[in-house]
Amino acid sequence: MASRRANLEEPAQLIQPLCSSWEDARDLLREWREENLRNSEQVVEVGDFLMQRGLAGKLGDEVWPAYEQIFLAALECGRLELAQVCYKQLRRQFPGSLRVAKLEAMRYEFLQKYDVAEQKYHKILEEDEANSAVHKRLIAIHKAQGKIPEAIKELNKYLERFMSDHEAWLELANLYIAELEYGKAAFCLEELIMANPQCHLYHQRYAEIRYTQGGTENMELARKYFAQAAKLNPTSIRALFGLFLAASHLASQQKGGGTKSSKSENKKYAAWAAKQIQERYEALGQSEDSQLKALTATLDSLELS
Amino acid sequence: MADPELLLDPAIRIWVFMPIVVITFLVGLIRHNVSLLLQSDKKVELQQVADSQALIRSRLLREHGKYVPRQSFLMRKHFFNEEESGYFKKQKRKPVMKNPMTDPTMMTDMLKGNLTSVLPMIVIGGWINWAFSGFLTTKVPFPLTLRFKPMLQRGVDLPSLDASWVSSVSWYFLNVFGLRSFYTLILGENNAADTSRVMQEQMSGAAMAMPPDPNKAFKAEWEALEVTDHQWALENVEEELIRGSNLPPEEIFVKDKFA
Repeated sequence: MASRRANLEEPAQLIQPLCSSWEDARDLLREWREENLRNSEQVVEVGDFLMQRGLAGKLGDEVWPAYEQIFLAALECGRLELAQVCYKQLRRQFPGSLRVAKLEAMRYEFLQKYDVAEQKYHKILEEDEANSAVHKRLIAIHKAQGKIPEAIKELNKYLERFMSDHEAWLELANLYIAELEYGKAAFCLEELIMANPQCHLYHQRYAEIRYTQGGTENMELARKYFAQAAKLNPTSIRALFGLFLAASHLASQQKGGGTKSSKSENKKYAAWAAKQIQERYEALGQSEDSQLKALTATLDSLELS
Repeated sequence: MADPELLLDPAIRIWVFMPIVVITFLVGLIRHNVSLLLQSDKKVELQQVADSQALIRSRLLREHGKYVPRQSFLMRKHFFNEEESGYFKKQKRKPVMKNPMTDPTMMTDMLKGNLTSVLPMIVIGGWINWAFSGFLTTKVPFPLTLRFKPMLQRGVDLPSLDASWVSSVSWYFLNVFGLRSFYTLILGENNAADTSRVMQEQMSGAAMAMPPDPNKAFKAEWEALEVTDHQWALENVEEELIRGSNLPPEEIFVKDKFA
């Protein structure tokens, strides 16, 4: 009985709109805005709901940030007509605002008129040169056009001035990885680790970059940072696999005279990681016995090699 | 109680007690809206932003530098602190000696601040003092010692009066400082009507008004970074990981302390 009801309910939930009244819509938009979520499709859905029923006016003063939010989401979803409506309202309310001017430039960006957008951004910067969002948009234009080296150059210039902008460091790391400049990407990841040493993902990423770079020294760094990631987040299978691979690689490579840690130690780490991984998979469920066997075989073969 | 209670005229409630509450509240509303009107958005200079961000990055390096490899740490330290070409050595800012009297924007800011905070308090306070002086408006429902008399009975100089009675002027002051949650309820957080915030700003205002001299900040940060040494936090991370969570806490804390 219970299962049948669940089955009946499920499709209903799929069709159910996100909101049924303007209060709901307002609360949803506010929540997403405050938490900085990027769920453009839902935002557009809520925006459609508000526009079609003409309920936007009910939001009072909160309608303006909501318009901006819906505008950005609409651009991301390719809904130009919805964006247009929001933009017109904002322009009418704030004719001289730089924030609205930025939105206008973003609309040109959407239309792929990058020259116009760039001009508009530069005009904004003339008035407010410390506007970091606009600086970033200019870099994004380069990226959108696929000019990664230019984007990297501009982003470097940007980071000279906005040194503690972590998002920018992360973006630069991604761009460097796209260009296969692993050493430089590692530098950016180090910045991120220092900015947020509790985040296991940064450690893991750094370790992966070092692992990709190869070489004994980098491999040892990779092992250390995979271990740190596994320590920070004991449920991270990816970090455990990384630790296993790095340690077994080192164990197979070193001919006795390793730099710091000897062969036996590396073997110990690899064995430990393999055991951990196995335990995790066993704890998950015995039903996938064949998978478990395959995994064990893989781990064993890697360890032996 | 044995001694005869004072009986207040109900007219006092209608013509003194309530008006003071309403007036204080409305003044707060007006102040909020006026300060919104007069607000001027502050322009941030790019150089200032860059300086502060460099300082933040250097602080992070000092505090969390132990999480990156030694070489990376030294590289960054070198970037900031190198004798000839280090960031903190190279960057020379002309000292910011803004005289508030000569800088017109600061002048107007100060004027606006005074216009919306201090002036109304003086004017309304004076007017309340003049119009409603000499009334007892209410009584706090608990006994108080004599020391509270100057606080609660300003304008009423009766030595024999019980200290829990509140005079009209004191009632006004209680309202000025006590209506904060009402304003938050009606105007939202961080409104300008709140007087206690204004008072705080005035206290710290002297230090805040002068922007910190970047040269001094750089020198301090340079010194702090210079004495920072790299203690790699990941030196024994694999062993710690393998030993796992059964590491006794005291070992974690003592580790590397005197190394």
